[in-house]
Amino acid sequence: MTNHWIDIKNADAVLIMGSNAAEHHPISFKWVLKAKDNGATVIHVDPKFSRTSARSDIHVPLRSGTDIAFLGGMIKYILDNGKYFREYVAEYTNAAHIVNRDFDFKDGLFSGFDAKGRRYDTKSWTFEMDGAGIPKRDKTLKDPRCVFQLMKKHYSRYTLENVSAVTGVSRENLLKVYEAYGATGVPDKAGTMMYALGWTQHTVGVQNIRAAAIIQLLLGNIGIPGGGINALRGEPNVQGSTDHALLYHILPGYHGVPLADWPTLADYNKANTPVTKDPASANWWQNRPKYVTSLLKGWYGEKAAKENDFCYGLLPKAEKGVDYSYMFLFDRMYQGKIRGGFIFGLNPMNSLANTVKSRASMDRLDWVVVSDLHHTETTDHWRRPDIIPADNKTEYFFLPSAHRIEKEGTVSNSGRWLIWHHKAIEPAGEARTFGYMVVGMMKALREKYRKEGGALPEALLFQDWPETFVAEDWTKRINGFFLADTTFGGKAYKKGQLVPTFGALAADGSTSSLNWLYTNSFTEEDGNKSKRRDPKQTPMQEKIGLYPNWAWAWPVNRRIIYNRASVDPAGKSWNPQKALISWQDGKWVGDVPDGPWPPMASSGGKNPFIMQPQGFGQIFGPGRLDGPFPEHYEPVETPLTAHPFSRQLSSPVYKSVSSDLDPLAKPGDPAYPIVLTTYSLTEHWCGGGETRNVPALLEAEPGLYVEMSHELAKEKGIKNGDEVIVENVRGKVKAVAMVTVRIRPFTVQGKTVHLVGMPFCFGWSTPKSRGAANRLTPSVADPNTTIFELKACQVNLRKSDKTGGTA
Amino acid sequence: MSKVVFVDTSRCTACRGCQVACKEWHELPANDTRQTGSHQNPPDLNPYNYKVVRFSEHLDGDTVRWYFFPDQCRHCEEPPCKMEADEHVKGAVVRDGKTGAVIFTPKSKKLSAAAFEKVRKFCPYNVPRRNPDTGAMVKCSMCNERVVRGMPPACVKVCPTGTMNFGERTDMLALAKKRLQELKAKHPKARLVDPDSVNVIYLLIDEPARYYEYAAVPEGGPLGRQQFLAWLFSPLKKSVDTVARG
Amino acid sequence: MQFNRREFMKGAGAGVAGLALSQLGLDLEPVKAYAGSLKIDGAKDIVTVCPFCSVSCNIIASVKDGRLVSTEGDPDYPINQGALCAKGASMLSMTRSNHRVAHPLYRAPGSAQWEEKSWEWMFERISRRVKETRDKDFIPKNAKGQTVNRLESMFFIGTSHADNEECAAIVQMSRGLGLVHIDHQART
Repeated sequence: MTNHWIDIKNADAVLIMGSNAAEHHPISFKWVLKAKDNGATVIHVDPKFSRTSARSDIHVPLRSGTDIAFLGGMIKYILDNGKYFREYVAEYTNAAHIVNRDFDFKDGLFSGFDAKGRRYDTKSWTFEMDGAGIPKRDKTLKDPRCVFQLMKKHYSRYTLENVSAVTGVSRENLLKVYEAYGATGVPDKAGTMMYALGWTQHTVGVQNIRAAAIIQLLLGNIGIPGGGINALRGEPNVQGSTDHALLYHILPGYHGVPLADWPTLADYNKANTPVTKDPASANWWQNRPKYVTSLLKGWYGEKAAKENDFCYGLLPKAEKGVDYSYMFLFDRMYQGKIRGGFIFGLNPMNSLANTVKSRASMDRLDWVVVSDLHHTETTDHWRRPDIIPADNKTEYFFLPSAHRIEKEGTVSNSGRWLIWHHKAIEPAGEARTFGYMVVGMMKALREKYRKEGGALPEALLFQDWPETFVAEDWTKRINGFFLADTTFGGKAYKKGQLVPTFGALAADGSTSSLNWLYTNSFTEEDGNKSKRRDPKQTPMQEKIGLYPNWAWAWPVNRRIIYNRASVDPAGKSWNPQKALISWQDGKWVGDVPDGPWPPMASSGGKNPFIMQPQGFGQIFGPGRLDGPFPEHYEPVETPLTAHPFSRQLSSPVYKSVSSDLDPLAKPGDPAYPIVLTTYSLTEHWCGGGETRNVPALLEAEPGLYVEMSHELAKEKGIKNGDEVIVENVRGKVKAVAMVTVRIRPFTVQGKTVHLVGMPFCFGWSTPKSRGAANRLTPSVADPNTTIFELKACQVNLRKSDKTGGTA
Repeated sequence: MSKVVFVDTSRCTACRGCQVACKEWHELPANDTRQTGSHQNPPDLNPYNYKVVRFSEHLDGDTVRWYFFPDQCRHCEEPPCKMEADEHVKGAVVRDGKTGAVIFTPKSKKLSAAAFEKVRKFCPYNVPRRNPDTGAMVKCSMCNERVVRGMPPACVKVCPTGTMNFGERTDMLALAKKRLQELKAKHPKARLVDPDSVNVIYLLIDEPARYYEYAAVPEGGPLGRQQFLAWLFSPLKKSVDTVARG
Repeated sequence: MQFNRREFMKGAGAGVAGLALSQLGLDLEPVKAYAGSLKIDGAKDIVTVCPFCSVSCNIIASVKDGRLVSTEGDPDYPINQGALCAKGASMLSMTRSNHRVAHPLYRAPGSAQWEEKSWEWMFERISRRVKETRDKDFIPKNAKGQTVNRLESMFFIGTSHADNEECAAIVQMSRGLGLVHIDHQART
């Protein structure tokens, strides 16, 4: 989230799209309803009418996978009707930037497309520079090559006719939403966007969010109270686990993973540290070398020295362009290239796409260490219903994990608040924390390497590991230490003392930090700030529900990021009634500003989007692999064979794997005419491995269902409560028919298209709950994130004829 | 004066925090339920669910309406269940005059099966159930043990949206009337259900029958003992069974 | 962190005064009989965080003699203000679920059952398998002769259930082993 949960109440319009917030983040509705009480319009755009829709002012059903068409139509509406916030757009976004003459867009493809490699060469997706190396700008926004004009041209095709024909949303409904949300493009109004997996789980997932970001920038809704792009995020500490990079492509703190092409730390820093020639740009990532060296010092301690490149050479180097995410991992597992590994607190046999394949893949492991609270489809994979255990040759280690209430430590919520949880009771039986397991395994392994040697033992033995896992010691390691006596901010610190802020981190090895974003969370001055419970606020903060003394938020306790965009160039709030920061008597008051510099118009002022090299909000987004402007492409499996925006049916660069277990239905396949979308529900969490073992929750939602319209049910001769088989090219699943008015047939390009929905949280390890909806979903993914397209694929369904094999 | 639970269904998201919090506070075991084509599960109040969120959906023209009704005992000012139970076993049902909570006591175990059936049928909201293991009548107790300590009932404490509210009768009635006033413009059929005769007052934005068969006493209005009996045995009623489903 | 009963009661709704039993007037009988003691009387209150979605509602766990007796939303926490959803409200029965796995379990290849093992046995055996795999498959240089020091045949996936401190330990271990196949729920 750019903003935070309480801040939703400050919105004048709330657009919930790609999310079912009332069901999946129920407490968010405390704040959505507060906004509504204050007069906000709450809009839900989603294929089905859910508990969220029930409490919204407007619900608009749209065919799954057509969000960019819908949002592109909104961009056109905002531009055509002059609804944008002109000064904000001209001053704070790259709308005025002049784009490289070689940049082009024709019939669904951007310039630089390599059809054979299915990738783009992005060198024309750049800006023209002036003599000083600063991007050329036309603040009148009239130059035909400026971003604003190119955007206008790009979205000129997104007419109400075209958008309505593709999305299945009526023109009246489109206008209703565009008008209500477009009304926030004035200085004293704010609109917030709440999204989740409904936007990310598409082959155009990143571009869905890019389209939203463009709208928010046009309306001046970023950096202000009641605004923002708010990823509600799915899981209990997914913000923290992302920050700490349990991911192949980054290191903790959002540094790209080292590649084979960068043999030294200097090479790495050169390739990953952006430069700007504009004195008005803070270009925050210029500090990256300080953060990376501090991370290496955190990992390798005393062993990391300038002389040995701070042990950078010991880190694994990935190959450029090779993807090591789930989809490719399970594909390589299927090919027999993976020997063993760890699956902690995750149920991929239920929650990943195409479980038919992921299950066949897992069978090919030699050994696996699983850790969970309960037996799940993953931990007990070797005894799933359709196999004989004797045939499964994998060695399984099950490490029983402690529940959150049984351990202490911090989690980061979606609003980036770092919150300490105390241990209330001892873990059940011999269950232990993940920290205990990791430290225990590393101790045993390091002992073996010490005694026996082996492959590159230094990579393990040089690391700094404690004897036992004590959570708060790691909270300190994450914050970081001074490793030499240092004076910072006029104050003397001793070697071994905590670093007060990331401004103190250094590239010379004199500091450590396991994650620069969290530096300032645990200080000599204020202790462990995640434990703070002080509701104290200034009247200015109270007005907008800001609690600077409750817990702590990254970075440096900033509660709303990009907050320099909430003030005009002179430092005055665009909306003084809901001021976030304000320049008063030579200093900032309110939230912690995005950097200490004075307002933009004063000498030494900086552009507000400090994480971008040039400091501007990116309406033109050159950093993505599939284009600088979002463009509508159909899901890979689609009921259509053509659409009116271009001849490029699906994303030209989506990622996929191929095997005998990865078949795809052809576009418009008459055998599979029904759109399937998958989701979860309030009473279960993700793959359901945990919540199905909680009696009160299983009682409320005991088993798999498929929601469908009365019209489709009638067509198929299905009654509410009947058992049906949902099937496609990959698999089939049995589910109970839930025939409902909450799903309606769509009219798409003049024809009726049916959509059905299924939760993915049920699985065989819970008797009677039926099987995994993910037997049906495809191994195709977004090119930027490799997130699976779980929200749209094609199926057919029929009344059950007792066919087996649907666990 | 009694305490009142004011249930503003116009704010409910059916998160079922109340349904589960009730089970957790009272440590009630789970029922072995099945998916039958509805989110409403368990399908009805039962010995282990003193509170159930009911779901009902309608299509009015092109408008979808999905109503949520967190059902529980209404804690009547003059509880008919008590009137009837008193005829059989004194003290099986008691009413805490301070809080207004109507409580089924362990003495209810002494009620014969026939007497229990009578008590159940006297409830216009179809609330009383009997625990098959202990033989005691069971239902929502308004968390009276919490209330007397100044704590709100578990279902109120847990509610995120302001659907469940709790306080002194005058305060809650004022809040209920204020909310009704606010909602009337957009929802002309909005109403408070039997506000003068019960201490769990529901605000609905549509006809009660569109939520649940027993959401309201059909004629509405206050029900003293005399009125209740008159209503119960009025010629318009075919039989007691149609009033309180068998 | 501990809270006293007075703070806990701040969750009471509007208009509810903190009544003591002795202040109650007439009709005391049923109160005495059926509102005698509370299961949370005398319990220690400890603040924890709900383990589900990332709103991260605070929860007060009431613990008596080391045993969890009740959980409720933390009324002081500014985001949830005492409220919880169905999942958050189910913490008590969650911890008491009889489905919890309470001992380290081992399943030999081809076996039809789990066997209970000690933690020491597990760490010893796991580290042996990890070392065998790592020593066998470690890739010091790629085809181009560049130093890569990676291990492709082993993976670590999970988990957003881990605390930040545990995540930091997991990533340190994973990169130390040379893993490149690292992923978790953030990608789903």
